[in-house]
Amino acid sequence: MHISEGVLSAPVLITGAVLAAAGISVGLKKMDYEKIPQVAVLSSAFFVASLIHVPIGPSSVHLILNGINGLLLGWMSFPSILVALALQAILFQFGGITVLGINTMNMALPGVICYYLLRRLVNREKKLISLTAAFACGLLSVFFSGSLVAVSLLFTEQSFMSVAKLIVVAHLPVMIIEGIITLFCVAFLHRVKPELLGGIYGKAT
Amino acid sequence: MEKRHNSTMYVLMLFFASILIISASTPVLAHKVIIFAQVEGDTIFTESKFSGGRKATGAQVLVFDREGKQLLEGKTNNKGEFSFKIPKLTDLRIVLNAGMGHKAEWRIPESEIKEAGGISEKKRAGEYSQPIDAALSKQEIKELIDESLDRKLRPVVRMITESQSKGPSVTEILGGVGYIFGLMGVALYFRNRGKKA
Repeated sequence: MHISEGVLSAPVLITGAVLAAAGISVGLKKMDYEKIPQVAVLSSAFFVASLIHVPIGPSSVHLILNGINGLLLGWMSFPSILVALALQAILFQFGGITVLGINTMNMALPGVICYYLLRRLVNREKKLISLTAAFACGLLSVFFSGSLVAVSLLFTEQSFMSVAKLIVVAHLPVMIIEGIITLFCVAFLHRVKPELLGGIYGKAT
Repeated sequence: MEKRHNSTMYVLMLFFASILIISASTPVLAHKVIIFAQVEGDTIFTESKFSGGRKATGAQVLVFDREGKQLLEGKTNNKGEFSFKIPKLTDLRIVLNAGMGHKAEWRIPESEIKEAGGISEKKRAGEYSQPIDAALSKQEIKELIDESLDRKLRPVVRMITESQSKGPSVTEILGGVGYIFGLMGVALYFRNRGKKA
């Protein structure tokens, strides 16, 4: 879902960059000493995730893992994803430097939305609720990302609905796989390190 | 101390898990398209694929001239190929639009078209059909050599573009992960210094 360079017009690029910069500054403010390693680990997970290709469906799609990133990091997801995308652009030529802002925005915002929507449910004691919420988080964040990409392309491609449909259909397998991955991550963290899920801002469960 | 030890273990575990995941899922593939075009006679052949080798099928191909005016457009077939007659003797810019924000382009300079076109026209005129004798001019010999070199080098050119379309290598991936951890170190250093001051 990386948008290539030269596709978008300048106003879209600038809007994306400004919004991303706002998110990044909020994220950097929240990032304290203990959180830095966590941000780095999730950043590198996001960095390698896009190399894992999902060979199902009509188009070339890959894992994104922005759901678990947003769920664990909240606003810190913005700097985390920015770093990963910048390195992908430099090392792999995915996306590009001029589209870095809008791509960061498209990938990080859904995670933050999921953080606020689903965080409390994920923290519930009841396993069923918690794991369902985790699955929904993985699934929805990819869905929102797809919608945001469609919105960004609104000004260059013909119709919003056809592009959005195309992206969402292409990413259906990824959405389900990401849901399952997020579910397993959350189940694992519940057992091994529940405080990561619990009080990210210092508040326990 | 105990707590710090735990989180280090956690970081290391995730790190190795991610390496395992990448190495298990070779060949690595991802989201980037490329288009490759070559002139053969009066036709231009293009080939489009995603990085990692998957063909870009049914994708839109646009051809522009030097001034940015669109000359023609078409769709790639199910092998990711699209070919068209040379519309105009000019620098051509061939743009692939694979949808969902994927775009790539390939430029063909006017000189390349001229050379390829020139040879094929002479060939059609039957100029090379006579037995070759010592009367061949320098120009004709050069053209003959050019033509056969073109043919011989085509697989090499193809190989080079194919190697360009390969996914990222393990070195690059590990390098990227290394960068992220390096940045983490820098961030920790500055936060820590702020704490002490």
